[in-house]
Amino acid sequence: MAGTALLFLILGLGLIAWITGRTRAAMFVRDGASKQRGYVNSLPSYHGWYLALWAVIPAVAFLVIWDFVSPGLVTNMVLASPAAASLPEGDFGRAAILSEARAIAQGLQQSAFQPQSEALVPAYKEALAHFRWIGFAVTLALFSVGALFAYSRLKPDLRARTKVERLVMAALLVASLIATITTIGIFASLIFETVRFFQMVSPIEFLFGTSWSPRATIGEGYDNGYGAIPLFWGTIFVGAVIAMVVAIPLGLMSAIFLTQYASPKLRSWMKPVLEILAGVPTVVYGYFAALTVAPAVRDFAVMIGFSNAASDNALAAGLVMGIMIIPLISSMADDSIAAVPSAMRDGSLAMGATKSETIKKVLLPAALPGVVGGILLAVSRAIGETMIVVMAAGYTANLTANPFASISTITVQIKALLTGDINFNGPQVLAAFALGLTLFLITFLLNIIALRVVKKYREAYD
Amino acid sequence: MTNPSAPDNSAANNPAPTNWQSDAMQRRIAKRYSAEKRFKFMGYFAIGLSVLFLAFLLFTMVGKGFDGFRQTQIALNVDLPALSAGANADSLRGPNANATLQSMDLPGIVNMAAMRDYGNDAMSYLSANASVTLRNQLLDNPDMITQKSKIWLPAASPVDIAYKGKGSAEMEKAVARLAKDGNIKSSFNWNFLSASDATDPADVGIWGALKGSLLTLIVTLSMAFPVGVLAALYLEEYAPKNKFTDLIEVSINNLAAVPSIIFGLLGLVVFLTWFGMPRSSSLVGGLTLALMTMPVIVIAGRNAIKSVPPSIREAAMGIGASPVQVVFHHVLPLALPGILTGTIIGMARALGETAPLLMIGMVAFISSPPGGFTDAATALPVQIFLWSDEVNRGFVEKTSAAIIILLIFLLGMNALAIYLRNKFETRW
Repeated sequence: MAGTALLFLILGLGLIAWITGRTRAAMFVRDGASKQRGYVNSLPSYHGWYLALWAVIPAVAFLVIWDFVSPGLVTNMVLASPAAASLPEGDFGRAAILSEARAIAQGLQQSAFQPQSEALVPAYKEALAHFRWIGFAVTLALFSVGALFAYSRLKPDLRARTKVERLVMAALLVASLIATITTIGIFASLIFETVRFFQMVSPIEFLFGTSWSPRATIGEGYDNGYGAIPLFWGTIFVGAVIAMVVAIPLGLMSAIFLTQYASPKLRSWMKPVLEILAGVPTVVYGYFAALTVAPAVRDFAVMIGFSNAASDNALAAGLVMGIMIIPLISSMADDSIAAVPSAMRDGSLAMGATKSETIKKVLLPAALPGVVGGILLAVSRAIGETMIVVMAAGYTANLTANPFASISTITVQIKALLTGDINFNGPQVLAAFALGLTLFLITFLLNIIALRVVKKYREAYD
Repeated sequence: MTNPSAPDNSAANNPAPTNWQSDAMQRRIAKRYSAEKRFKFMGYFAIGLSVLFLAFLLFTMVGKGFDGFRQTQIALNVDLPALSAGANADSLRGPNANATLQSMDLPGIVNMAAMRDYGNDAMSYLSANASVTLRNQLLDNPDMITQKSKIWLPAASPVDIAYKGKGSAEMEKAVARLAKDGNIKSSFNWNFLSASDATDPADVGIWGALKGSLLTLIVTLSMAFPVGVLAALYLEEYAPKNKFTDLIEVSINNLAAVPSIIFGLLGLVVFLTWFGMPRSSSLVGGLTLALMTMPVIVIAGRNAIKSVPPSIREAAMGIGASPVQVVFHHVLPLALPGILTGTIIGMARALGETAPLLMIGMVAFISSPPGGFTDAATALPVQIFLWSDEVNRGFVEKTSAAIIILLIFLLGMNALAIYLRNKFETRW
């Protein structure tokens, strides 16, 4: 909390610096000095920003670094103190005592469970106070040095605006780099854990094995239950087959109806309905699938003779997922149909074709790349969908094409392996990252292809 | 251009014009028109099915969730003066009120009163929370202690379900007995809006989860909005056309389509393991969701910025504004309504997101609302997921009721976005 208070103090001082710089620059305008040169290069507020940024940025940067560095320094100082001489050697017990003593010294904890930590509290308090003062002093010193330096450079012909704007541009660039850094971060973190996983389980077993029931301990040979083929199949079956059988016809027909047949008034009512359908959280769809759709599907299956139908069947999850995807396909198809030049449509109608013939023979073929791109994005969305399958599909991985059987997907297993008590070095947790990497790569590929297709097609008619 | 091809020849060979009145032609036309009708009907069918499904979904949730907002209460005749163990109204007003209440053994009083009024089974009729309710009533109105009075206390979940007509036969009988004497009633469940998670479905509330969601969204908004707007400005206004910019664009477009669970894995590895941030906290949840929301804001922001006409930029440039001044003084204010609309839609998506929060451990049983950004918290959709997993039947209506609250928030946010879009949309 002391760090937060210091941060606000620095920001408050920064405001004072801004006002000072601005006032100083305003004086130039009235001053003889500026009349002599004829003008002041920048507006007064830029001088204010120049001074404030020079003062605040080094101080805040130091504060952030200090926040990371100082705990280590504090611990070292405590360990060097005589009170720490009696600490046990073992890494684990020692760390527990130290963290407890620190918590008491900071006032987060009232009393100690371990007697040794009580003894360390005074040493900790002293070390914390020591380094807090150092941090405070250095921050203020950096602030003053920066402010004085900038103040000494405030002159009528200082190009304050150029300098401040250069910093603004740097901030813009950094902001836009965050997306790239995130992508790299996802990739790096997944790769890192996946490599550790493949040191325990062979990639061949993972990619080509047909039985999935991950065990906590790894034995020799190829039967540790890390064969992910049933999961890949389950993911494709639910996301790319059942869901698409529902979503493609309904989404496409909705888009055709809305763009070609619906009156403007009906369209203005139906568009928001589809938007609401797209905005319903997946956890709600999942609950609906598990509570209402899955039992209905099972009853139906029993009625037509599948007596072994599971209550967590693939069909229920796929159906609800398909409905969730309808708005996505519909809006993508809507865009690409609207982008077909109206001359093509008018030409077809003028030749005597009916509306539906025009749509089937002219509009859809012309819009096909966009529609295909939309479908690829929809598939990528469906196979990465988590909550519906977690709540409605099963946890047991079956390699079957029976839609009434229980089927598991990649996302369900990631969720199952990573919730509950997790041992971060066990193969089960690491397997989740291998599955995550697979999922990331598949969706990445689908997205890239889809975006390419859509973009190329748009350029063709622009 | 002069191409002596098939049409010319066939026209020469078959000079008679098409007879449109012939039966064959009429049949063909009728067939084409019926195909047209069928196609149009399919369109109606597709859109109708979507509407029907949405209506069915909302209807199911409201139908099931309505009961979640009602709380069943049972009347108890409590002889407080006899059981007060020397406490009086003044001591309840004073600073030692808590100690006084402690010494009164309220759970014991409630149990005794229940057994005396309704027999030995009746201890289980009242919720574990009943003594807390009594305690709050006493604190609000200390004079209650001076007289024997009839007090309404919340019922336990089996009674609650039975009174709403879905309980076991045994409980239905008990409820019928209570109802005969007018000792059971149902009222609006304020507890559901003010309490947190609990083991008894009759006592649960969503305030803890809602507060967790709000804290998470505050973190998400304060990270994703500035970064998203700045990135959109850079890409739309300043970025040179080169490979490097292409890379940034590809990664933003791709991030917008990465499955949300992958962001959860990223949060787990980077924020929890590498940076050592507090597990289950709304800070980590907010950061994870910010990474997910940021591309949405960038894409919406770019569209809004693109729609500001170039003449505005040229005019500003023409009177001597610098490129940064052009953008921050003129383009950004004009694009802001569009950016805000996109931001609200992105935040609505973040509010409904569950999977990444499961990954970073926001799934714990948390019975008190989080006090700050680093406290263990849960979020509204995660709470729904947790309750949906419960075996106890009393949770069904609570899950649906929580879904209604979540949908109200989402619809409110989307309506705000649409309102902003319509109010500030400018056609240039």
